[in-house]
Amino acid sequence: MSQADPRCVIQTVGLTMIYRSGKLEVTALRDVDLAVHPGEFVAIMGPSGCGKSTLLHLVGGLLQPTSGHIFIEGVDLAALSDADRTQLRRRRIGMIFQRFNLLPTLSARGNIDLAKKIHGNGAGRVNGIDEIVDMLGIREKLPFRPSELSGGEQQRVAIARALINQPAIVLADEPTGSLDSANSRLVLGMLQRLNETLKQTVIMITHDAEAAAMANRVIEMRDGEILQRVHQFSYEPEFEGLF
Amino acid sequence: MESLIAANIRSRPTRTVISIIAVAMGVVLMLVLGGIVTGTLNDYLQRNMSIGADFILQPSGASIFYAMTGGTLSMRLADLLKQAPGVSIVAPVLAKFSSAEFNLVFGVDLTTYNQLPGRLQVIAGRESLTGDEAIVDELYAKSHHLQPGQSISMLGHNFVLSGICRTGSVVRVFVPLRTLQEMNDSPDKATAMFIKASPDQNLETLHARLKQTLPGYSLIRTSDPSLMLADTRMPGFKELNFTVVFVSMMLSFIVILLAMYTTIFERTREIGILKAMGASRAFIMGIILKESVMICFFGILFGVLLSAIMRKAILAAFPTLQVSMAPLDLLRACALGLAGGTLGALYPAYRAARQDPVKALTYE
Repeated sequence: MSQADPRCVIQTVGLTMIYRSGKLEVTALRDVDLAVHPGEFVAIMGPSGCGKSTLLHLVGGLLQPTSGHIFIEGVDLAALSDADRTQLRRRRIGMIFQRFNLLPTLSARGNIDLAKKIHGNGAGRVNGIDEIVDMLGIREKLPFRPSELSGGEQQRVAIARALINQPAIVLADEPTGSLDSANSRLVLGMLQRLNETLKQTVIMITHDAEAAAMANRVIEMRDGEILQRVHQFSYEPEFEGLF
Repeated sequence: MESLIAANIRSRPTRTVISIIAVAMGVVLMLVLGGIVTGTLNDYLQRNMSIGADFILQPSGASIFYAMTGGTLSMRLADLLKQAPGVSIVAPVLAKFSSAEFNLVFGVDLTTYNQLPGRLQVIAGRESLTGDEAIVDELYAKSHHLQPGQSISMLGHNFVLSGICRTGSVVRVFVPLRTLQEMNDSPDKATAMFIKASPDQNLETLHARLKQTLPGYSLIRTSDPSLMLADTRMPGFKELNFTVVFVSMMLSFIVILLAMYTTIFERTREIGILKAMGASRAFIMGIILKESVMICFFGILFGVLLSAIMRKAILAAFPTLQVSMAPLDLLRACALGLAGGTLGALYPAYRAARQDPVKALTYE
């Protein structure tokens, strides 16, 4: 039985994920060990099908691994029930997607409010909504529906939705994948600023080297395995020997 | 806070309107069709009660719908009953259904019949019922444009209208008992006997005594409708009522089931988003169920409104028809409409709550 490293906010140990469809088996992740510290901004790069999204979904508790352990703030996800994993995701994790994934029937404000409602953080508390909305520059966009917003604006609303409940961890699955370069830079700058300001741990999947350069650390994946730690930017971990 | 449920309802107007109309149809079916059945029955029972008899004697297994019962009571029973202690009046009647007129005709001995509190109150013509004479009520006379002295043909026999009585009697057409018995080739038979107890007589005691004296006969108490309903036989009434309620509920159930089932497929990705945001199964089920309840609510509201309009239209077109729409009927229709819709939403809600979040998020 693996023990969680108390210094890590996210830790995977021997994480393996095999998708099965009839007799067909596809190994998406092979024995992945990963450790992420609080406040770290980690970018994961790699070709399509290398297991990046699977890793993110496993860390987000959306999937159950075939074997191995995922520790979120010391809690083993594999040992939790579906309801408990959902609760942990609700309380501690915010997710950002390539396709924004805003609910089309709600306005930008409705989408952000819904996240608060799901969190159980009703209308009574302000909960930093003004601060986040102003930081992302979307105050005047709040009454509009997603279809009335540009891609960059939609992604900023999606970021606000992910951050509104002040999660400890933000998981971003190619957040700039559907944006032009100007909007990509804007959104990445915001993610970086939010990481620095709100001290949230960010794991970002990207194909874009420029986007990855914004992270403290870049991890490269291939064929379901972590290859190496490509870059270590400004972030200096307090602990050594995690890899 | 902007409601996701209200937003979903607004964003799918066609589905919402069709679902509302279907739920409303169920409510209309329950209120109008059920109302006609209940109203007609209640009216019939009330008119039976208005005769003022305490008991109605019928052959065993006979129905209060006299048209369904032939003349199988012996007239000698009337003489026997008159001599029974505690019995003051016995008025035998022979009922015959006129299929041409879709009307029930009572053969009565007017002298005996008029001893009952609900006697015929003749308001035009003469209070006479002998030979080939007939008395009809106001509504019948008005709808057939009849005046006293005119000839009317019924049951293959020509009668002369002697008088017109006030509306409210158990049937609308009365002819002499003897004449109807001869026409029916049953000179010594009656369909039912209306019995009035002596003023100081305890009705329960008399009822028990008569039941003992006349075993094998049906003795219906007419002091209140529920007793009448309990004593009498209403062939198919319960079944009809059940069918109306069942079909109405099934309408709400099936429409909501289909609408919500389709909706969760349309909204697969949204459900995935909600799950990724940490929404619990209960939260997702709640959204689907609340949406269904809201659709049902509007459907019920529309159904009640439509039923009230239809009731007015029916009463205007067919004044003799009764459409009961008591508060209890409304409450029942609302509760059943809501129950049908909510039950119909349970399975789609369950399916939505159990969706795989990753598959849902990648659903196109």
